[in-house]
Amino acid sequence: MIASDRGRDPATFSPSDPRVRLERAELPPLALAGEDTAGTALVLPEPAPRRRLRWGGLFWTSVSGLVLLGLALAIVRLISDLFSYAQPAGWVGVALTVTAGVALTVILIREAVGLARLASVDAIRTRAAAAIASDDRKEGQAVVAALLSQTRRIPRLARGRRHLEDLRSDIIDGRDLVQLAERELMEPLDAEARRIIGTAARRVSIVTAVSPRAAIDMVFVLINAVSLMRRLANLYGSRPGALGMIRLFRHMVSHLAVTGGMAMTDSLIQQVIGHGLAAKLSARLGEGVLNGLLTARLGLAALDITRPLPFAALPRPSLNDIAGSLLRSSQGTDQGKPAAPKHSEPPRAEAG
Amino acid sequence: MPPVTTTIARLADQAALAARALVEYGQHLLQPTVRLGITGLSRAGKTVFITALVHGLLRGGRFPLFGAYADGRIANVRLAPQPDDNVPRFDYENHIRALVDERRWPDSTRQISELRVIIDYQSGSGAERTLTLDIVDYPGEWLLDLPLLGMSYERWSAESVQRSRETPRAALAANWHRDLAATDPMAPTDENRAIASAKLFTEYLRACRDDRFAMSVLPPGRFLMPGDLEGSPALTFAPLELPEDAVRPPDSHWAMMARRYEAYKDYVVKPFFVEHFQRLDRQIVLVDALAAFNAGHHAVRDLQAALTDILDCFQIGRRTLLSTLFRPRADRVLFAATKADHLHHSNHDRLEAILQTMVQGATERAKFSGAQIDVIALAAVRATQEAMVGQGVESLPSILGRAAAGETSGGRVFDGETDVVVFPGDLPTDPGAIFENRAAAGNTDAALRFLRFRPPALEKTDAGGAALPHIRFDRALQFIIGDRLQ
Repeated sequence: MIASDRGRDPATFSPSDPRVRLERAELPPLALAGEDTAGTALVLPEPAPRRRLRWGGLFWTSVSGLVLLGLALAIVRLISDLFSYAQPAGWVGVALTVTAGVALTVILIREAVGLARLASVDAIRTRAAAAIASDDRKEGQAVVAALLSQTRRIPRLARGRRHLEDLRSDIIDGRDLVQLAERELMEPLDAEARRIIGTAARRVSIVTAVSPRAAIDMVFVLINAVSLMRRLANLYGSRPGALGMIRLFRHMVSHLAVTGGMAMTDSLIQQVIGHGLAAKLSARLGEGVLNGLLTARLGLAALDITRPLPFAALPRPSLNDIAGSLLRSSQGTDQGKPAAPKHSEPPRAEAG
Repeated sequence: MPPVTTTIARLADQAALAARALVEYGQHLLQPTVRLGITGLSRAGKTVFITALVHGLLRGGRFPLFGAYADGRIANVRLAPQPDDNVPRFDYENHIRALVDERRWPDSTRQISELRVIIDYQSGSGAERTLTLDIVDYPGEWLLDLPLLGMSYERWSAESVQRSRETPRAALAANWHRDLAATDPMAPTDENRAIASAKLFTEYLRACRDDRFAMSVLPPGRFLMPGDLEGSPALTFAPLELPEDAVRPPDSHWAMMARRYEAYKDYVVKPFFVEHFQRLDRQIVLVDALAAFNAGHHAVRDLQAALTDILDCFQIGRRTLLSTLFRPRADRVLFAATKADHLHHSNHDRLEAILQTMVQGATERAKFSGAQIDVIALAAVRATQEAMVGQGVESLPSILGRAAAGETSGGRVFDGETDVVVFPGDLPTDPGAIFENRAAAGNTDAALRFLRFRPPALEKTDAGGAALPHIRFDRALQFIIGDRLQ
């Protein structure tokens, strides 16, 4: 009686009919659903740190070889000079040049892969936000599949991944699915990220409080910030190399510029009070606290761009979460060792 | 009734309600309580929903989206004696036994019943708390009476008669129409004639409810589900064909009918409305749209009309201290299209869109008054699995389940022990299309056909107990009580 669009008539079949396929079996294997992200993940070398060190070492060795051989001369001239001087020495020069070239290419490719991965983090985040807005089930599933393959090598998520894979055949809408993935996969990482940022901020505040020179402060803050970013990126499964890092840095600086004002007003009271109180104790300590706060804010900004999902189901860690422990610990330094960061679990946001 | 008396009566009602609300407000400060109204016309699945809700809370299940449960913050759930001593207890144990052991759906509800569930939980910040959940079940037919409260006998008569002359009701009402034509409203009272009319009118209502027509606007509800009032004068009346602007003569048949109609409202409808319906904190409106789709666009339009009338009686809005005391209202309303397991999930969005269209008026009103609204296609107990059937180049998104005994499809009658794969047809992408007659009439070659299925065999939870499979039930739970378990 009611016309349907495509006019397909209702029909019944026997379950033993060969045309019938149960939906559960029809789900594609997980790795295939991740499309390009899965592909790049496969290209990546498995024991990454060691291998990276070797190629990098080779490059630097070759370059230093070149530097040793022809710091004053252009390479071509050096080689031709070498050839005219002695045939084997010329060949050595050629070999070194080639090796350096190959190593450089490999590093560039790796940086490009790192960049692509970072881009895929951005892509996942954009798609996740879109899925949350549109509540589209297919889109949500694609996001979750991409996320699962992205976080495949993070051991602490094994349980959460298992949960999500169990639920893949359930009927859950896009928005709920993405938020569920956020709760399952991001929660342990968020806690760890908060710990990492807190540790970095505390370290900066302590070092700048006791360091004798401003230059040492600056260098330490910079090194600490870079290592903080690398650790965050590694934590969330995006592994940017130096090129990716620069992009992350630029991303972060622009992010800081935009959010700086807002974050300032958000945490102004905290900072003023912290600074004022601490300054009364000691100007140095105040300076340390301020530096720590700046690092914490840097860390939060980095967290925003390395996290593959937007904050929807879980609360975004605020500066207060970290600054609170920072203040406590900088006052607690008098009592021997710095207190372990104590993060009060923020109230859970509603998923619905 | 003269207007002054009516006003005084209404004021008294309001005062009683306010006094009660005040007492309850005091109690709720000590013991946080949510009164959950599970609303739905008959066969919408209220009893199954409540049974699944209680079972899910007591025994657990797959509820990844029900935050407090998924986080493991719910420490203990138990049943407790209910607050109202004059209301029967909801027979949870028998219903769950029917579902799980016998694999049949619970019997339809014949009377009001109540159940209290107490949830011990830990809030997100670590405090140990308790939430009391009062759940009320009642026959869906009774809901049809709520619109009568604001209607005089004359208006109700006129509307009923007019409605009975539309297709497809006219054919079913033929007997009653003959009686109607033979009855003179101005004649003196005649008890036997009243009994005969009431009987014919009831038969007509009953015929309308048949699956083939699946009409929804069928007041008065107690005619279909009389309970202990059967045969009493309050249930012995029927609409009359009344002259346009005549005055009701005293001691006439008309006057008697009108008096009984008022008695029905006073003794049957109003107590239900005041005692149970008006004091709800959260409303769940269950709608079985699929039965209406089965019967065709007349049934869909009728369902929409019934929902619109009923939803007008709801008191919805954001809670304030004042409203809690003087005008209790629900601050969250969930519209749920039940039996979503009879459709492949690719059609769920369309089902939601159709329901959204049906309840649009109520939704807008509720949003305006600050209440939160959600529309979900769900299955409290999922009876089917999904399957794809390759048919030529395309594949049909179908469902696999055990058809209930007596269901027929393509000339085949099922015995209740056979599994069957059904492609029920596609819902239209344009939700408006389903309200219109776009195809040739005739129920047999409908483009949509939903079979009834038996309840599923059970799956296991992590804890090893039996869990009922469901569709989006956890999302519904989260919306309805999730914020109270933060």
